[in-house]
Amino acid sequence: MNDRITVPKAYIDLLDQVFEIEKKLESINEPNSIGRNVNRIKEIFENLMSDSGFIFQNPLGEKFNETRTDLEASIAGNSADNLVVTEVIKPIIRLRTNSGATTIVRKGVVVVESKL
Amino acid sequence: MDNTINFGIDLGTTNSAIAKFVKGEIIVFNNPLDYGRATLPSVVSYRKDKIVVGSKAKEYQEKDPKSVVGVFKRKMGTTESFKIKSINESKTPIELSAQVLKELKTFVNTGDTLDAAVITIPASFDLIQSNATKEAGYQAGFKQVVLLQEPIAASLAYANMKKTNDLTDGQWLVYDLGGGTFDVALVKIANSEMKIIDHEGNNFLGGADFDQMIVEKLIIPKLNAEYSFENLEEDMKSASGKYNAKYYVLLRRSEEAKIRLSAVSSAEITVDGFEDEGENEVDMEISITRTEFNELIKPSIDETIEMIKKIITRNSLTSIDLQFTLMVGGSTYIPYVRQRVEEILQIPVNCEIDPTTAVAVGAAHYAATKQKEISKSYKTKKQTAISIKTAYNKTSKEKEELFSARIKGNTEGLFYKIIRQDGGFDSGLKKLAERISEDLPLIENAYNFFTLTIYDNQNNIVETDVETIGINSGFGISGQPLPEDICLEVDDYDNPGQTRLALVFQRNTVLPTKRTLTFPLNKTVLKDSTDEVIRVNVLQGSHESLPESNKILGYILITGKNLTRNISKGSDIEITVSLSESQDLTVSAYLNMANQEFKETFNPKERHTPIELLKEQVDDLSDKLEDEILQAIEKEDYETASTLHKLSKEMEEIAGETQSLTLDDVTDKKYQLEDKKRKIAQKIDNATKDKRIGKAKEEYFETKAECQKLLDENGNDYERKSFNDIVVQEKAFFATNSPIKIQEKADELQNIIGQIRWRSPKFLLEIFSWLLQEQPKMNDHVQAKSLIEAGHFAANNKNWERLREVNFGLMDLLPRGAKEEATHKIGFGL
Repeated sequence: MNDRITVPKAYIDLLDQVFEIEKKLESINEPNSIGRNVNRIKEIFENLMSDSGFIFQNPLGEKFNETRTDLEASIAGNSADNLVVTEVIKPIIRLRTNSGATTIVRKGVVVVESKL
Repeated sequence: MDNTINFGIDLGTTNSAIAKFVKGEIIVFNNPLDYGRATLPSVVSYRKDKIVVGSKAKEYQEKDPKSVVGVFKRKMGTTESFKIKSINESKTPIELSAQVLKELKTFVNTGDTLDAAVITIPASFDLIQSNATKEAGYQAGFKQVVLLQEPIAASLAYANMKKTNDLTDGQWLVYDLGGGTFDVALVKIANSEMKIIDHEGNNFLGGADFDQMIVEKLIIPKLNAEYSFENLEEDMKSASGKYNAKYYVLLRRSEEAKIRLSAVSSAEITVDGFEDEGENEVDMEISITRTEFNELIKPSIDETIEMIKKIITRNSLTSIDLQFTLMVGGSTYIPYVRQRVEEILQIPVNCEIDPTTAVAVGAAHYAATKQKEISKSYKTKKQTAISIKTAYNKTSKEKEELFSARIKGNTEGLFYKIIRQDGGFDSGLKKLAERISEDLPLIENAYNFFTLTIYDNQNNIVETDVETIGINSGFGISGQPLPEDICLEVDDYDNPGQTRLALVFQRNTVLPTKRTLTFPLNKTVLKDSTDEVIRVNVLQGSHESLPESNKILGYILITGKNLTRNISKGSDIEITVSLSESQDLTVSAYLNMANQEFKETFNPKERHTPIELLKEQVDDLSDKLEDEILQAIEKEDYETASTLHKLSKEMEEIAGETQSLTLDDVTDKKYQLEDKKRKIAQKIDNATKDKRIGKAKEEYFETKAECQKLLDENGNDYERKSFNDIVVQEKAFFATNSPIKIQEKADELQNIIGQIRWRSPKFLLEIFSWLLQEQPKMNDHVQAKSLIEAGHFAANNKNWERLREVNFGLMDLLPRGAKEEATHKIGFGL
């Protein structure tokens, strides 16, 4: 695990932007099927290198506790129990290889809140 | 093994790090759970059954302060202890520091046993505090602990980086501004001894304060001016406030902006995603200039400068007496900090070392000079014979899977930790018992690997017989596998006029499944015209056989009449094929240029046999059959010719019957004919297979020989390996008796040939001179000219990489080849 793969920061930045666009698209109703282009970009990233590529994961709504080392969280509100991801500032970015295994190359940055 | 200590640890107030001296180089170990970071936040959290150290603990610090402790370094050497609510116990600063040290041990991946280390302490530490730090080291399992003052460590890092004796007899300042603390020290070398003369500090000043200031002093006022809030600041900062979650978002964004401002002169912070009290959507882009930011932090920086001035006056020095100010700590990346400190003090600042790891690096340099006092024989082997039996589901569709294990052997005083290998899960350090169980979170649709590691109470790894835990998420449980390949018919660019199959899903793929393939169209279809059509034909059956012999599952025909506008050659078609668990097939074809989607669902229980398509296929097959007969006769292969000849009679019958079908025929006739057609196609396939295999093998061997030759001349290890991988499989893929399989392998070899060629200067020059001849044909003469100039320049300078680019660029300018002119049946291909 310590053989770190160095990932050009530009890839991470681009993926963050794609994620932002995707997030914004969810809240608007647009007639030009921009979603398709976004999906294409995601596919391109997924197959960026011949045997590997990048995928991002939106952890919105997922449960959170201290074992989740794939997230960097800020805990909002009074309680620190039953935490759920309520806001995603940056998605989790993974490097996927052909064998299907993934490695986290950038943690997700999120806000979590207690949901009872 | 060396007999020097070699390990250096920066046990910081806010962040810690560990480094090792190896043959003159220093390795700073990465945090295995924090990608790309070498530091560990010095925060310890006690949960009911485990101890968590680092960033995970830090997240809980504010919300669960009764169970999470940070900045305990300030309390080192006092009798004060921290009450931990979750475990109902008190922990001393020494115990807490020992936890951080133990966690740092897990960073070390070089397989060393850590029994000695140099640990750094602030210049302000007195004897009691220093002894407390040593004690923490012993509690963490070190047999020998050597202390080193942080400003000296930083100075050593600098001196070793410069590899000169610059630092002989002189004095300088070490300015350490980190995430949450500030320290400054006056360091002096006299009689070849480095010493700290004086120091000052503030334990509540650092980068985190700057982030807060951006939110409070810049963002909140701007939001108040633009929108209506009653008490925004309080609603953000109070845990029960309605905008508390937003506060953290803004802190993150402010931190990012702060970092960006070190490189550019203004940064934007987007504030959106919530409503003000008047229910207006907040959507604002706040621009922060470097000047604004500098104004903001000025009082804090000036405060640090005041401290330095005190030191200077106290020691009756002037600026000229000091060589430089060595900048350490992450916040010294801020240009204003450097500039302001230099400007006011009139002492040059020195920013040559990495401010975040300098202390650990310096400690490691120092460690390399310190002898180990413990002899090897003294080393007690604490490793216990532990045997572990695990139990868990190896496949799962759940989000979490229960893992349990039984431990044989003495578990007293031992701990365990489970980590997912992608770095996304860490159970934390837990007490080992005879039986342990843990819910392991799974990444969907992937193989999840976990490692279970046992530690003793000093975080030394205890060897066990446990193997990697592997859990397959997503498949193999309820989804049924696909009985045959699903393919798409595409134009075959290697054999103009013919079609071939592109694999969409392989046999045994688990349903449901979905895949999108994108192709550029190879023909233009005019609106309302019927001359050209695009066919999306999804078939079931081996992707290595002829398209005609596979069963049609779904078929979409797009003609000009269906289009809202003309679509051109070269524009994209996106074909999405999805299969539900009950094998319902949904095919959608999306034409990018027209922004039109054609979608149809095909039910496997009803067969789809469009009569028009059937007629065409029967015609094609008749042509093909005649063609094959002629070829066989030509090659004097009379046996094949006669087999095929027998088929042609059958073929004629089918052709006649198909022709007589009306387009709206409702009988079963079309299905029968389709079956017959497929059978004939299969027979043709079989009869001509030998010929095709022969041809494919011949091509394969030719390619192989060429590839071998090039490899000998100019191949690299990677290419040699790829080549050998293919050759080793030779027997296996010849045995499949599939011409397509053999062709695929020949293509792979061809790729290797391409790779080698495009690297060889000779080939690049040849291509370039050929392209020069072709120049008049090129589309864009201006660009061609400038590329050619660049090419000559690259060739003269032997810049082959550049020449390669130029060649590619020039090739793009050539009109498309004649191959493209061939008629295309499908509309896109491979």
